[in-house]
Amino acid sequence: MKKSIGIASILIAIIVATAILSPNFLTAYNIENLLRRTALFGILSVGVGFVILTAGIDLSIGGVVCLAGILTPYLLTQMGWSPTETVAMIVLMSIAIGVLQGGLVAYGRIQPFLVTLCGLLMFRGIARGITQDQTQGFQGQFQDLRWLGNGRISIPWVEHFAVPAPVLSLVIIAVLSMIFLNRTVWGRWMKALGRNPSAALHSGIPVARLQVLAYAICSLLAGYGGLLFVCDVGSAQPSDFGNFYELYAIAAAVLGGYRLAGGEGSVIGVIIGAAVMQVLRNAITLVPWLPDTAEFAVIGIVILIGVLGDEFLRRYAASRVRTQTKGIS
Amino acid sequence: MKRVLSSAVVGCVLVLMVVNGTSCGDAKNSPPRATPRDRQARLVKEHAVNPTAQPRIAFVTNGIAEFWVIAQRGAEQAGVDTGATVTVHMPAEGLADQKRMLEDLLAQGIDGIAVSPIDPTNQVEVLDQVARRTLLITHDSDAPASARLTYIGLDNYDAGRMAGKLVKEALPDGGEIAIFVGRLEQDNARRRRQGAVDEIFGRARDESRVEDPNTPMTVGKYTILNTLTDQFDRAKAKANVEDMMSANPNLACVVGLFTYNPVLALEALRGAGKIGKIKVVGFDEAPETLAGIRDGSVVGTVVQDPYNYGYRSMKLLDALCRGKADALPASGFVDIPAVTITPANVEAFEADLKKTLAGGAEKSAK
Repeated sequence: MKKSIGIASILIAIIVATAILSPNFLTAYNIENLLRRTALFGILSVGVGFVILTAGIDLSIGGVVCLAGILTPYLLTQMGWSPTETVAMIVLMSIAIGVLQGGLVAYGRIQPFLVTLCGLLMFRGIARGITQDQTQGFQGQFQDLRWLGNGRISIPWVEHFAVPAPVLSLVIIAVLSMIFLNRTVWGRWMKALGRNPSAALHSGIPVARLQVLAYAICSLLAGYGGLLFVCDVGSAQPSDFGNFYELYAIAAAVLGGYRLAGGEGSVIGVIIGAAVMQVLRNAITLVPWLPDTAEFAVIGIVILIGVLGDEFLRRYAASRVRTQTKGIS
Repeated sequence: MKRVLSSAVVGCVLVLMVVNGTSCGDAKNSPPRATPRDRQARLVKEHAVNPTAQPRIAFVTNGIAEFWVIAQRGAEQAGVDTGATVTVHMPAEGLADQKRMLEDLLAQGIDGIAVSPIDPTNQVEVLDQVARRTLLITHDSDAPASARLTYIGLDNYDAGRMAGKLVKEALPDGGEIAIFVGRLEQDNARRRRQGAVDEIFGRARDESRVEDPNTPMTVGKYTILNTLTDQFDRAKAKANVEDMMSANPNLACVVGLFTYNPVLALEALRGAGKIGKIKVVGFDEAPETLAGIRDGSVVGTVVQDPYNYGYRSMKLLDALCRGKADALPASGFVDIPAVTITPANVEAFEADLKKTLAGGAEKSAK
C-alpha cells in the first residue's frame, strides 16, 4: 500500500488541477466515463503486472485484445454462436495463447520480448485473416452481453450517478489478484521468482510452471479486456483495434510501482497508474487552453515528473533509514 | 603507419569519385533526368505508340475499411470488363506501409497505379518516384503538388459543404457544434472540415482558407467548438465525443467526418442518454449510420461513390496503357460527386448498395 502513495498523490494532484481548470470535470457523467476507461485499461494492466513480476514482458496484449475484440462480434453475428459459447471460446483461447507463450519462455528459454512480439504480430494477423479485414460489429444486438462493457450499475438512492459495469469486473479481478499474490503460496513464490530467479530455482520453487501461469493470467485478462472493449465500443476494425494498448498497459504497471526487473509491484498501484493515464487524456480535452495536439507531450511530461518525484522520495526515505540505523548501532 | 592510412583514405576517395562518375554517366545514357511530370507525359505517349496488350494495374487504398471493399468491387469489375489484371492493395499501418506497397509494385514492373495518398503534402517525393516509373493517378484524396496525371474522386470541399448544409437544417436556430475525424493530416479530411465550417458560417467558397482546428469559432448563431482527432483508435473516437459532451453541456450537434466517427458518436450519445437531443451528421454509409438515419438518431450522411473510384480509375489506367491518351481529362480532375442521404432516400440507397456488393461479388467470382 505504501508503495502506491507516490502514484496516488500524482493522481490526486492531476484531479485537483483539472477540477480547478475545468468546471465540467467533476460531473457525474465525466466521472462515469473515467471510471469505465480506467477499468478497461486497468484490467489489461493488472494482467501484464503478473508477467512483469516474474521479470518478463508481454508485448502481445494489443494483439490479443484485437483477436478477442474481433472474434466476439464475429462469432456472435457471423457464426451464430450463443453469447455463452462465445465468452467460453474467448476465455479458452486467451488462456491457450498465454500457455503457449509462457511455455516458449519457460521451457523453450526464448526471450519473452521476442516470443510476445511475434505474438503481437501473429494475433492481429490472424484476426485480419479470419475476418478478411472487415469491421466486426454487434449490429444492434446482444445488449445483454454488451452490458459487461457499456452497462451501468445504479446505486440505490443515487440518481444521476451509476457505476460503469467494467468497474465490477476490475474490482473482482483486483481482489482475486491481491489474494493470490499476498495470501497464497504460489503468489509469494511468484514474487520470490522475480526478485531472484536462481535462488527461487534452487529453493525448489517450480519456476517454469509459475512463468507459464503468469503469461496465462496476462493473456486471459487481455482477452477478457478485448471482449469488454468491443462490448463498450460496439465494433472493431482488425487493422487497428487495440493498437499500442500493450504500451498503455505496461506504462500503467510501471507507473503503479512494478519494476521491469521483476519482483515488486502492487495491484492497487497499477490501477491508479491506469487512472493517471486516462485522467490525463480526459483533462487535455476538457481544459480549453490545452491544445489537443499536445496530448502525448503532456502525458509524457507529467509521467516523467511523477516518476522523478517518486524516485526522489524513495531515495530520501532510504537515506533516512540508513541514518537511523547508524544512530542505533 | 600514418602514411599507409592516409594513402588508403585517398585511394578510397578516388575509387568513390570514379564510381560516382560512372554512375552519372550511366544516368546520362539512360533517358535524360526529366521531371516526373515530363516523365508521365512521355509514358502516356510511349503507350500510345506501343500499347500494352494486357495491362497490369494496381489500386492502392489509404487503409482498410468497408468503404475500400466497395471500391475493390468496382476495381475488380473494371478488370473483368477490360481484361486488365487488376490488383487491390490496402496498407494496414499507414504511411510507411503504403510507401512499401508502392515500391513493391514498382519492383514488379506494374503498368499503372491509382493511389489514395495518406499525406499528400509530404508524400510528393514518394509519389514522384512512382511517377518516374509508371502511370500514376490519385483517387479519393488528391496530391496536387505531385506529378499524378489526374485525380478521380469527389471534391471533398464540396462534400464538406453538403455536411454543413445538413448541420444547418438540423440546427435552424444555431448552436454549438463539434467535429470528429480520424486524422487531419489527410487532404480529404482537411477539405471536408473546411467545407463544412465555411457552409455552417455561410462564407463564400475559399478552398485555401486555413484555420486552427482547435480554436473555438463563432459566426452568427453557430459556434464550432473544436475538431478532435483519434488516429483511427475507436475507443479514443468514442472517448472524444464523451469528453466533448462533458466539457460542453450545450453541445447541439456532432459532425463525424470519417466512416466510423458517426457510429461511435451514436455509441457515446446512447451511453449518455442524449440520442436525438444532440444531432449527428455523418459521412459514408456504415450500417449503423444508415440505421440511425432510419430511426431518426442521425440527421443525414454524405456518401461518396467508392465503387466508381475503383471502377473509373482502373478503366482510365487501362485505357492509357492501351494507348488511348484522349481518355485523360484536360482538367486533371474526374468528378465523382457525393450524395446526401437523409430519411427521404435512405431505403433506396441501401437497396442499391446491397445490389452493388452482391452483384460485384457475383461477377468477380466468375
